[in-house]
Amino acid sequence: MTSPADHTRASLTTPASCCPEYAGLSRRGFLRAGALGAVTLTSTAVFGSAHLQVAHAATQKAGSVLVVLSLRGAVDGMSLVVPHGDPAYYKARPGIAVASDVLLAKDGFFGLHPNLAPLLPMWRAGRMAAVHATGLPTPNRSHFSAMEEVEDADPGSSARVGWLNRLIGRDAYAHPLRATQIGQTIPPTSLLGPRDVMAFGEVDQVTLAGGEGELRARRRRSLQTVWGGVGGPLGDGARAAMLAVDDFDPVRRTAEQPAHGARYPRGDLGKALAAAARTIRGDVGAEVITVDHGDWDHHADLGTLEWGRMQEMTTELGEALAAFFTDLGSLGDKVTVVALSEFGRRTKENANYGLDHGHGNVMFLLGAGVKGGYFGTWTPLTNTVDGDLLVTTDYRSVLAEVVSTRFDVSTATVFPGFTPERVGAILR
Amino acid sequence: MPASAPSRRTAILGGVAAGAALVPSAALLAGVDPAQAATTYKVRRFAKVKTPNAATRHAVNRFTYGWTPQLQKQIKKAGGFTTWFDAQLAPDSGRKVDDDFFESSSNWWFTINASPTKIWDRSEREIEPWWKADENYQRWALVRRIHSERQVQEVVAEFFEHHLHVPTSGENSAIFRADYGKLIRSHALGKFTDLLHAAITHPAMGVHLDNAVSTKRGVNENLGRELLELFTVGAGNFTEQDVKNSAAILTGYSVDVWGTWRVSYEPDDHVTGPVKVLGFSDPNRAKDGRDVTRRYLHYLARHPRTAETIARKLAIRFVSDHPSQALVARLAKVYLAHDTAIAPVVKALSTHAEFKRAKGMKVRTGPDDIVATCRALDVKVRKPAGDLAGANQLLWQAGSLGELPLSWPRPDGMPDTAVAWSSTSRFLNSLEMHIALAGGWWPKKAMRYRSARSWVPIGKAGKRKRKTSIRFDQLVDHLSRSLLGRGSTPRLLQAACEAVECRPAERITHTHHLVKWNMPHLLGVFLDSPDHMTR
Repeated sequence: MTSPADHTRASLTTPASCCPEYAGLSRRGFLRAGALGAVTLTSTAVFGSAHLQVAHAATQKAGSVLVVLSLRGAVDGMSLVVPHGDPAYYKARPGIAVASDVLLAKDGFFGLHPNLAPLLPMWRAGRMAAVHATGLPTPNRSHFSAMEEVEDADPGSSARVGWLNRLIGRDAYAHPLRATQIGQTIPPTSLLGPRDVMAFGEVDQVTLAGGEGELRARRRRSLQTVWGGVGGPLGDGARAAMLAVDDFDPVRRTAEQPAHGARYPRGDLGKALAAAARTIRGDVGAEVITVDHGDWDHHADLGTLEWGRMQEMTTELGEALAAFFTDLGSLGDKVTVVALSEFGRRTKENANYGLDHGHGNVMFLLGAGVKGGYFGTWTPLTNTVDGDLLVTTDYRSVLAEVVSTRFDVSTATVFPGFTPERVGAILR
Repeated sequence: MPASAPSRRTAILGGVAAGAALVPSAALLAGVDPAQAATTYKVRRFAKVKTPNAATRHAVNRFTYGWTPQLQKQIKKAGGFTTWFDAQLAPDSGRKVDDDFFESSSNWWFTINASPTKIWDRSEREIEPWWKADENYQRWALVRRIHSERQVQEVVAEFFEHHLHVPTSGENSAIFRADYGKLIRSHALGKFTDLLHAAITHPAMGVHLDNAVSTKRGVNENLGRELLELFTVGAGNFTEQDVKNSAAILTGYSVDVWGTWRVSYEPDDHVTGPVKVLGFSDPNRAKDGRDVTRRYLHYLARHPRTAETIARKLAIRFVSDHPSQALVARLAKVYLAHDTAIAPVVKALSTHAEFKRAKGMKVRTGPDDIVATCRALDVKVRKPAGDLAGANQLLWQAGSLGELPLSWPRPDGMPDTAVAWSSTSRFLNSLEMHIALAGGWWPKKAMRYRSARSWVPIGKAGKRKRKTSIRFDQLVDHLSRSLLGRGSTPRLLQAACEAVECRPAERITHTHHLVKWNMPHLLGVFLDSPDHMTR
């Protein structure tokens, strides 16, 4: 079960820019004096059987920031972090395997896809970890129900509350800017729940259109009259928007140009991460940021190092993440990125230079608190039509380690009923 | 300076139909200073525009892209909602419904009616890249929704385009996408057996979900799986062995994606030998698998679990985000009793008590909002000439709302629930779109917007017979009827007073500052309201 090597270790042990910049929350303990007078903005929502009323406070500083990057469509983790030490990998993939001699950051068993080169400096600095053979405890080959299951992360409950909503719901501070989806305006399952969250495509969109000054104040007042008492998700969204639009101002005032000479690749991922960096720089209390990227559903044309979607998208992924941390500079010392996918892909390639739906996958951790290197327990691959990478680490164990170390929260709050196993990819 | 401070803490609850109960504590929200509560907001009727009763307004807003005064006249001419609706459900038989806009607008973009090879050829000659065919289709979809005479067919066609989703995001399928959309529309009010077969064997779907390259030498499971999971019986109702057999049955439908775009059936690619999926089994001996494919797809279309899938999804689109099991079961029964015919299910849904109770309970999606806004404002989109034309630019307006039409990046189709369409930025972006269209600010070219004056129902100064001014509260009632299809409410009146600083009794003439400068902001009050953003 654990041959050829138990990878629960760090191959490079350079300490990350560790250090507890997480200094607790500096709560400015007053309630909002809104634009319309000293009122407390409230919203009410029913999720499952929980009926909650939330008072929105002024924005607080975020001591730690968690960026969750969802690689949608089920990325092939064995192309990103190649198990070159497992002979079945090469037998099963005569057309699309990544050759051992081009891998980066190689150890005796794993190596990184060469197009992740932009991340090598972080890897060498011990600020990047790859945890392999992770996933849901039992296979779920449906993209859509697997995403739900991964992001709900509470198998016993029928309430639609995502794990990140539970994370920001851990204390009394409620503000829509605390958790934000960037790049897409439809929030993912992980963010849904009783706490209001934010979602925007571009920074400039977070504004109240229709004039400035007096005109804007009037529109504001009029909207408040109409929407103030409206229930349901749209009523909540409307009020959260009106609150967020003011408190988001510091982000809009940040320079649009990335800092420290960072150059993002073209495309949605670069745009979203650039907006995420601005949001963090604006210091408006954004503690959780989610970004979706994909389509990684490479049933066909996953391809080789010379052509195909994997090499192209891996380049974009590596460049975008590297640019993000360059852009953040020292702010990156409080930002942890987790990249994950709903499931992995089959071991054996199909006839279209692609891979069908599998099970186990890799997760990446980058930035604050990360203990660099390869982690996970490997079960030798089998070269059969149905062969999957077996999951040996529940993905929640990895997430639990991140949230319990980076935030003042118990694992049980975020992942109810789950007992995590130690992975070791986060510094304690 | 009018005393238009917010007032009336005794919120008039009836005015807001937003798909949920009012939050009692929210009275705090209005920021009311009781001392200033001087102005009272009492509705004054001005019923020049005929409005439907609540039940008809509800049904119209669910089965069309938005009520308009013109639609009101059509319904009256047809003899009432039921006869109008029945004709719309069978637009090609009996009382035929015109399809002129569909036909004429299909010529607005070359790629809509062009063959794949023509689209490719033009791309090779650098006239228009082939992937622009997807953008053009999105544009056509938008203008059809705004102007088509066959509103019900368009609404149901869009539903099935999401159900049998082939994203319009510039993938290889772009070259076949317009034809695919037309095919879905042609079957949208027919039988699901035919629709499913047409969609699954179409090259757009084949290219999108890789069936076009799936052969017996290497079976690709993508379409075989989604066919079971998304399009028919649903997750949890099949095994991995079923997926393999499903994919095997579908082999043979080939597309040359390397430039010729030749579509063919290749018997040499078809997997032969016994297959079994759920209760369907077949010796599958023939090299030509088209017959077994047809029988397999018809079997799936008639499966009780498929009936539930379609019934639930229709109920979510047309009734509420959380339809009852009883409603789903009822609709599934109708579906099976009519051998998968879709129109009877839509009809049954429209007369169900749960439908009648669901007024205002759906949040309009982003694309629905922009279309409904154009309809409410009586915007006319004209044949485009050049990139700046409204018919082309409207697409970017839709994109700013979060989703280009039919571009949802996953095979499960765009979500249609309040939770998906209530985010902060959706709300803010809608507000921006509303005012841009209300002001006629963008897009401008080849668009006809109504003038500010035309919204004020008075005569020109100096002309006799018609009054030359109107009270503001009456104007608000008139606009509410024109834009929303219902009379004003005290809350809307108050919001209108606040937005443009007018008193209820103020007399509005064509030279009033409101008409000269602030009409977009007044129109925005109605478009920004729950009455417009929900349906």
